[in-house]
Amino acid sequence: METFKLEIITPNGEIFHDNAVSVTLPGEEGEFGVLAHHSSVSTLLEAGVVDIEKEDKTVESVLINWGVVHVDEQQVVVLVEGAVAIRGENESAIADALEEAKALVKSIEDSGQAIASVSAKLETAAQNLI
Amino acid sequence: MANLKDIQRQIKSVSNTQKTTRAMKLVSTAKLRRAEELAKRSRLYSEKLNQVIAEIAGRLKCNKVGGINSRCFSDINNPKTVDIIFVTADKGLCGGFNIQTIKAVNKLLKEYKDKDVKVRLSGIGKKGVEFYKYNEVELYEAISNLSSKPDKKRSDKFIRTSIAEFKDGKVDAVHIVYNGFKNMMTQELHVNRILPVDTNKFDCEASEAQSMLEIEAQDDEKMLDSLVSKYVEYNMYYALIDSVAAEHSARMQAMDTATNNAADMVKSLNVKFNKARQAAITTELIEIISGVESMK
Repeated sequence: METFKLEIITPNGEIFHDNAVSVTLPGEEGEFGVLAHHSSVSTLLEAGVVDIEKEDKTVESVLINWGVVHVDEQQVVVLVEGAVAIRGENESAIADALEEAKALVKSIEDSGQAIASVSAKLETAAQNLI
Repeated sequence: MANLKDIQRQIKSVSNTQKTTRAMKLVSTAKLRRAEELAKRSRLYSEKLNQVIAEIAGRLKCNKVGGINSRCFSDINNPKTVDIIFVTADKGLCGGFNIQTIKAVNKLLKEYKDKDVKVRLSGIGKKGVEFYKYNEVELYEAISNLSSKPDKKRSDKFIRTSIAEFKDGKVDAVHIVYNGFKNMMTQELHVNRILPVDTNKFDCEASEAQSMLEIEAQDDEKMLDSLVSKYVEYNMYYALIDSVAAEHSARMQAMDTATNNAADMVKSLNVKFNKARQAAITTELIEIISGVESMK
């Protein structure tokens, strides 16, 4: 399986920097997936969940509130303002991450339908991990 | 011969100063650690954001993206009005930190003056603002208490006027001048033109091999607009946090030097004091001996 380099960067540091098989991003005009050798594209992201399929086939979810993605043939750079990765060693760590993510969702000002679906997605992502 | 009392008073005063400078150094060291951590974490984001913007700007220039003509990415050859924003500290006692920034601003001011360009100078930080007030240079906007406590909201609010006026065509370029953190010992002066985005560095031929850049949004300009706004806002905020880290490192150094100088001074004053005391004792002895001699 071909992979590409994925970086997710927030003002507080890197949240993900590794090879990925595919990544699904919440674009302004709907979700879209990126595989290796995707053609160059730049677009805005809205609040949502980024699903990363890693080399070992596991899926990691990262919640973001606003961002911009720049894709080119070699790499994908996701710049986000606020992000929380849903991951952890054990159930309680995952629950903590989920709490943090929910706090971030709440802080997003213009709530609406999109936010509701984001919360639902978060729950499923956490459930899958546990 | 210096008076013993005078020397003693001097020693006391110098060692009191030394105590103050040492305390200030310790305070700066503690503050620096926090500020440096913040600046380090944000640096990566800022660098990547600049890279993405530079690439988009470069590709726009090389006509790899069709039909977009944004003011933020075009070269403006004959600017009429430019904005210069400088960031200095709110407090002094940090060596040449503020003066370096002011010198750079003056150089830029002169360059534009020679070209007959109207400059609107805005400042963040008491020291720089006071300097220009004293020299009767008009400031378009003066903000204090922001450079010592960087706050994203206030910095956004401040820079948004410049962005809006640039987009409206009232301003033709925006520069940010600040002294940034390089490492514990050195500061690095930054004079950045943040608007319009610099496209000169981009090499069109090197990007020939890559595919066409697609900008995916209902409205390309809206996407670029909001991206550029974020870019400028973040650059402004980053300038503030970088400047705070640099300020503390500069103050730490200045206070370290001051403490060392005070120590040297106390040492030489002590030698002087001992010499004076010895001289006084010798004089007294001579007086006694000659008194005894005369009584014989």
